[in-house]
Amino acid sequence: MTIEVERAPREAPRRRYVGSRQKKLKGDLFVRGKARYVADIELPGMLHAAVLRSPHAHAHVKSVDVSRALEISDVVAAVSGEDARELTGPVPHFIDPAVFGGKTAEVRCLAVEKVVYAGQPVAAVVAASRNDAEAALDAIAVEYEPLEVGLEPAAGTQGGTLLYEGWEDNTIIHIPFVEGDVEAAFAEAEHTLEDEVRIQRYTTAPIETRGYVADWDTSAESLTFYGACQNPHPLRWVLSHALGLPEGKIRIVAPHVGGGFGLKMHGHPEEALVCMLSRMLERPVRWIEDRRETFLIGGREQTHTFKVAFDDEGRITGLRNNIVANVGALGAPPGWGMAFLTALSFPTGYRIPNQDVQVSIVATNKGPWNASRGYGKEATNLVMERIVDLVAQKLRMAPAEVRRRNFINKDEFPYKTNAGLNIDSGDYHGALDKALAMMGYDDLRAEQERLRAEGRYLGIGLAFELTPEGGDIPGTLVAGFDTTTVKMDPQGKVTVLTGVTTPGGGNETGIAQIVADEVGVSLEDVTVIQGDTGLCPYGFGNYSGRSMLVGGGSAALAARDIREKLAKVAAAMLETEPENLEFGEGVISRRDNPDASLPTETVAYSVLTLAFATAAMVEPTLESTRVYKPDNITHIPDEKGRIQPYPSYSSAVHLAVVEVDAETGVVDLKRFGVVHDCGTIINPTFVEGQMQGAVAMGVGAALSEELIYDDEGNLLTDRFKTYLMPRAGDLPSFEMEHQVTPSPFTLLGAKGAGEAGVGGSQAAVANAVNDALAPLGVTLRQMPLSPPNVLRAIREAAEKGGVS
Amino acid sequence: MITRTLEYLVPGSTGEAVEMLTPSAGEAKLLAGGTWVVPDMTHGRVRPARVIDLRRAGLSEIREEDGHVVVGATATYSEIVASSLLREKVGLLPIAAAKITGGAQVRNFATAGGSACYAIPSSDAPAWLVALGAKMRLLGASGEREVAAEDFFRGAFRTAARPDEMLTGMAIPTPPAGARFAYHKLKFGESGWPIATAACVLGLDEEGRCRSASLALGAVAETPLRVEVGAVLEGSPVTREVAQEVEEIAHRAVAEPWTDVLADGEYRKSVAGVVAKRVLLAAANGG
Repeated sequence: MTIEVERAPREAPRRRYVGSRQKKLKGDLFVRGKARYVADIELPGMLHAAVLRSPHAHAHVKSVDVSRALEISDVVAAVSGEDARELTGPVPHFIDPAVFGGKTAEVRCLAVEKVVYAGQPVAAVVAASRNDAEAALDAIAVEYEPLEVGLEPAAGTQGGTLLYEGWEDNTIIHIPFVEGDVEAAFAEAEHTLEDEVRIQRYTTAPIETRGYVADWDTSAESLTFYGACQNPHPLRWVLSHALGLPEGKIRIVAPHVGGGFGLKMHGHPEEALVCMLSRMLERPVRWIEDRRETFLIGGREQTHTFKVAFDDEGRITGLRNNIVANVGALGAPPGWGMAFLTALSFPTGYRIPNQDVQVSIVATNKGPWNASRGYGKEATNLVMERIVDLVAQKLRMAPAEVRRRNFINKDEFPYKTNAGLNIDSGDYHGALDKALAMMGYDDLRAEQERLRAEGRYLGIGLAFELTPEGGDIPGTLVAGFDTTTVKMDPQGKVTVLTGVTTPGGGNETGIAQIVADEVGVSLEDVTVIQGDTGLCPYGFGNYSGRSMLVGGGSAALAARDIREKLAKVAAAMLETEPENLEFGEGVISRRDNPDASLPTETVAYSVLTLAFATAAMVEPTLESTRVYKPDNITHIPDEKGRIQPYPSYSSAVHLAVVEVDAETGVVDLKRFGVVHDCGTIINPTFVEGQMQGAVAMGVGAALSEELIYDDEGNLLTDRFKTYLMPRAGDLPSFEMEHQVTPSPFTLLGAKGAGEAGVGGSQAAVANAVNDALAPLGVTLRQMPLSPPNVLRAIREAAEKGGVS
Repeated sequence: MITRTLEYLVPGSTGEAVEMLTPSAGEAKLLAGGTWVVPDMTHGRVRPARVIDLRRAGLSEIREEDGHVVVGATATYSEIVASSLLREKVGLLPIAAAKITGGAQVRNFATAGGSACYAIPSSDAPAWLVALGAKMRLLGASGEREVAAEDFFRGAFRTAARPDEMLTGMAIPTPPAGARFAYHKLKFGESGWPIATAACVLGLDEEGRCRSASLALGAVAETPLRVEVGAVLEGSPVTREVAQEVEEIAHRAVAEPWTDVLADGEYRKSVAGVVAKRVLLAAANGG
């Protein structure tokens, strides 16, 4: 099967906006406090919900008695899991492990019979105010029979504390990615090493927590759901299943969203819960998440135990890696799949012919994962970059040189990886050289020597990063294409309705830039509407760095249809051929005679008003809806059964400079630089903004962010005082340069630019801290590199006698 | 969300405040800046029946009083930073208050007196007060009394104040002219609480020999710890060797280190000596 892909147009429009630094459209709303978030929505008669959560990480729920809560005067409703089971069905999984041959479990909005993590919803109260609702939670009596708690995958796999009935162990799925002759590679290797990287549980923490308002319309028997969510249409599908309502009876609206990062992908129990309560009470019901509740959702807890085979020249010939991911309880959001992607993405942008990478994805009694920016691929980059540095250290070779010798060369693209990924394009050697020059690498090494003589520990860390973006997972509503409608009104103004949504980053501005160039109007004349299933074409929202790729791509295609139609009519009006027309900003003129021109408005008006005369040759509508499917995705398995789910592979080289206080273990990040390649850049300001946020997230992951549980499975880090996200004052100004190697497979040459940065920056910082402490013989294996972890490693190295 | 219906009172004087406090002692919470009380109420960790807001009780003054500077119980960190009297007489407080976690919004609300009364092990103010030898002025129905800061802090979240008593001010003996101050704080990132702090007041003679020295550690144990440095320091210049000795004394002084989710006791004990050494050297070198 082949897919016809639209290539670049015969004649590309003059690019006025694409590639330029435009400000965020309507950006003033945010600084003026006029943006409307879910928590700003007030509907007549609206009630407020609060959720009672299990204090036990693993327990049978013997009984739930809500009767005392119902006696409280301001309480309108109180429901148990049993009640909810009568009113809703299970919440379908975003990505069901069963699709891949794994184990699955039913997820309900309120627990029935059993809880599998502390914080799992067991009952809900609806009251006139949020205070009343929360206060009434105390009046609900729940009888639990606690069960043995398993917080570590090792304990879980022994089968002593099975989370789900019918499972023989707690492993959701085990996936191998094996290629080449690994046995031989290790048998013949000139050198081998083995080590471990343990990645802590951490998460994303958008400043706006989740929140939902459900508004049941009794007369129309339909539901409007306002939610801080990333994927309105797929969420509609989920709610339709859970509530037993046709999709046509549900409208999802995502108002302004204050950060997503994957956390606002759906499958959360409260989504269906709030809808159920609104339908039950025939009144609008609102639920706004507490920060403590946000932190219940985790991500990214993995241990990698690896062996590496390499030669005297630093060429890596073989890799074995055993990955165990602790994904917590199995929730309906797409979190567990991240660990799948971690394994799939090895060995990033390096040529390693023989690999045996296996991942075990294991359920435990911690909170469920949701998607977290990087979607597992950040872990691959961290571990791969630690591996390369360990090889360099063992051979006493420059880390940059080992990278150069193992990188895929720029003339080898497209390049098929061991797991079957088809990397589109890149120039990794070029990006590395650029990063070293930008940061003055040789001077940094000289400075390091000087400070080491003074007993100070400066560290320099390099990291390459490859980020597959724009993915499509077959058999799920994770799609690698999207749809956009472009409409021009008789005044020549443009409205764009797109299936991609924004978590607040600014893709609407990029899409408007593309459309403005394609139809020849000014940026101010383009309005972008997104995040409303009642208005927008069926689309998939934001994830996987896809919004410019497919939202931008489909907008360009639809805009070209409009342009083509305008050209035909304008050509008739200007007595020439369409090919002889130049599209300016709101004006269409003859190339051979620029004085012969018409305002775009006049042409647009003519399409609709002279439909039986001048414009008779075109269908009189200035609307087009188009889908853009990028090339390079292949779901037909190859001869080895591998699929290729990602169209684009952005890359980056990061460099971190740290100083470690060896007496306290405190790491001071002194400089940070990154060279990023996401192909064609639509708006450098937004690409840089995405990268800055991702680097801040990666630095937090490297140094301080951690979700810590007590032995009973209660989350201890439930606020920003204990879950330490970096603040501006903790970070240096990031130095940044672009490299542009356009993708040959995407319409505009763009690659994803939303996910890259987390793993690369985390790896660069980890390599820098290890580099700083190399004179002390320290190798850090436990993330994050918090002062207690660093100081412990220093002490352990000293006890072992320092440098080996 | 604060779920308990409560009585909110704003007394106009200390006398009125005591009257409001007396009958409801144990069920009432005093509110100064509210940067601890309000989050604790929001999270349901405390559920007072009555909240007495001291903002109009006339306790925010910072004034001189025979050989002391008295910092009112509700003086905010911003007021402490801005006080020319403190800068002139008790330089440690403005230096240390400027380093409070949370930025301008917190400094404009939060108070050193409130922090002392909450007695959170990992907070800043307790160690300053101990290093400065402050006297905590308590007022209750049975009258006023003074308790030395060292005796005021009884344990984690426990003070010598009785349930019917309120703090009115902290009387700080004016250090000798020319005294040097330093405050060293170890914390993990801008948003985190202190992990180990040290406050130091040093009197040096013309030759740079130590005449008097006071050093207190904070956040490393349930209560602030005074480190007995007199014997090592007095009469001696502050050299690296002396600082090394102080490091060891401070390390030994931490018998039962404080543990919280950010740092366990083992870590706190390992860095206690380091912060003591650093604060001493900083004070000797002029803060």
